[in-house]
Amino acid sequence: MAKFPSVAWFDAVRDIYNKDDAMHGAGSGTCNCVVGVQVGRELFRLTFEGFECSQAEMITKAQLDDCDFYLHMAAKDWRTMLQNIQEHGHATDNFTLNTLDLGRVEGLSASTHNDQYREDLFFRYNQTLQFFFDGSARIQTTF
Amino acid sequence: MATAKDADRVRPALTLTKEELEVEVPEPRLNWMNQWREWGVRVRPGNKGLTLGSLNVGLYGEIPMNWPDRSRNPRGAIGVTGTPPVAIQIKDKVDLWAPCAADLYEEAIQRRWAPATDVDWKAIHPLPEDIERAICQVCTEICQYAIIDVEVITSWQHQMAYGYHEVKQFLATTTLDATRRHEAFRKRALVNGGGLGYEGPCQVSRLLLESSGGWTETVTGLILIRALFTQVMIRYLNRFAYNGVERKIYECVTQDFARLITYGVEHIKYALAHAPDKQGSILTTLAIGFRMFNRDLRDPVLREALAIVFGGGIAGARNEGMLVFYEMLDEYVQELLDACQYLRLPVSIEQLPKVFQKDQRHSAEN
Repeated sequence: MAKFPSVAWFDAVRDIYNKDDAMHGAGSGTCNCVVGVQVGRELFRLTFEGFECSQAEMITKAQLDDCDFYLHMAAKDWRTMLQNIQEHGHATDNFTLNTLDLGRVEGLSASTHNDQYREDLFFRYNQTLQFFFDGSARIQTTF
Repeated sequence: MATAKDADRVRPALTLTKEELEVEVPEPRLNWMNQWREWGVRVRPGNKGLTLGSLNVGLYGEIPMNWPDRSRNPRGAIGVTGTPPVAIQIKDKVDLWAPCAADLYEEAIQRRWAPATDVDWKAIHPLPEDIERAICQVCTEICQYAIIDVEVITSWQHQMAYGYHEVKQFLATTTLDATRRHEAFRKRALVNGGGLGYEGPCQVSRLLLESSGGWTETVTGLILIRALFTQVMIRYLNRFAYNGVERKIYECVTQDFARLITYGVEHIKYALAHAPDKQGSILTTLAIGFRMFNRDLRDPVLREALAIVFGGGIAGARNEGMLVFYEMLDEYVQELLDACQYLRLPVSIEQLPKVFQKDQRHSAEN
């Protein structure tokens, strides 16, 4: 059981993602990017290298600059998304990363640098990122 | 390391007859063996494997601004003199280069998918007829776009100098992506009791097919008009997907498009940085392209089909469906303006046809 958000929670999901070959094929595969995750005021950084998510760590707001892009939502919205994943085994309908990005007025993916090449990694690696968060269905999450 | 013993295993010694032994075989000269422009190169694989970009070391990493060699000589090899030139017209780096091309090539290879087996086709279920017909119509138009993409890109590939093989190789993956897109949407149209619908209007397609002045200008239309719009449309279709089959297709196609768009935007950025005078032809292409796109959008077929998909049927198409359709257009315009800002292209929403302007749209349609 891991509490969201925390490094321990991301580590538990990383472990599932790193070990499951099914998450590394069928349009997924190697992924090289640094993703920020903003949950309310708490900030985390996920490093994807090749077939692994190699690191999850807490960061400061200034360190968001190092992220290619970051996913930002209020804590209650993250909770709703993760509960949807828990319920169905994967994100459905209004809770996929793509739909959240399109459906929310403020979007889901953002950056501090406005470098479109780095921002577009959200779309280029969308399947991998979805697989990663869908992996949370396999752990018990508390909030 | 392979030994002579290993070699014997894979290539058995020849048993020659007496007559064969009497045939006079010229002594090998082996004079080609010391002819290398650079020897002793040893590229070591990194944590991403042995990538195409990592081979760009020493002489082999020299990518000149101009490649006058109109042959198929691989970059770094010694050319043969007297070879008749092939039809290579794009010999300047500024006309095709994007610094990310080698990385995008690797990414395309790594992140490949197969519609036949990676999509759980058996999970599809019957849909109301109006929705099924609408989805099939959208699939038909996306298939047509894919065919155009293949034709446009391949018509330029053979004109590109081999000195810039990273771009040629990446573009080869984009034509595969487009054929896979055609395959996936054709399968979706035919898997659930439906079929193919109307061929769409083709003003933008004609513009792309007839664009022969330059690859950069073709990329401008192909990426900033056709691909960016299709990408946004597919993301909206994903948002309103009716089953996991469609969702999987849309997710994978989004990624495929993202690579093509990244190449296109980064190429235009490179071209503008090294040849600022290209801005004029890029802006002209955009202006013509938007006029064509405006004409295509006057055709109601795609608009109505999308509205039905977004509105959950004919009943919902008139209000909610059309609202989502226009929201989708607004999202496309925003993506386009963001890209233009990134490229420092002076394009504003007021320059676009009224259908793309939220507050002018109503007057344009009346």
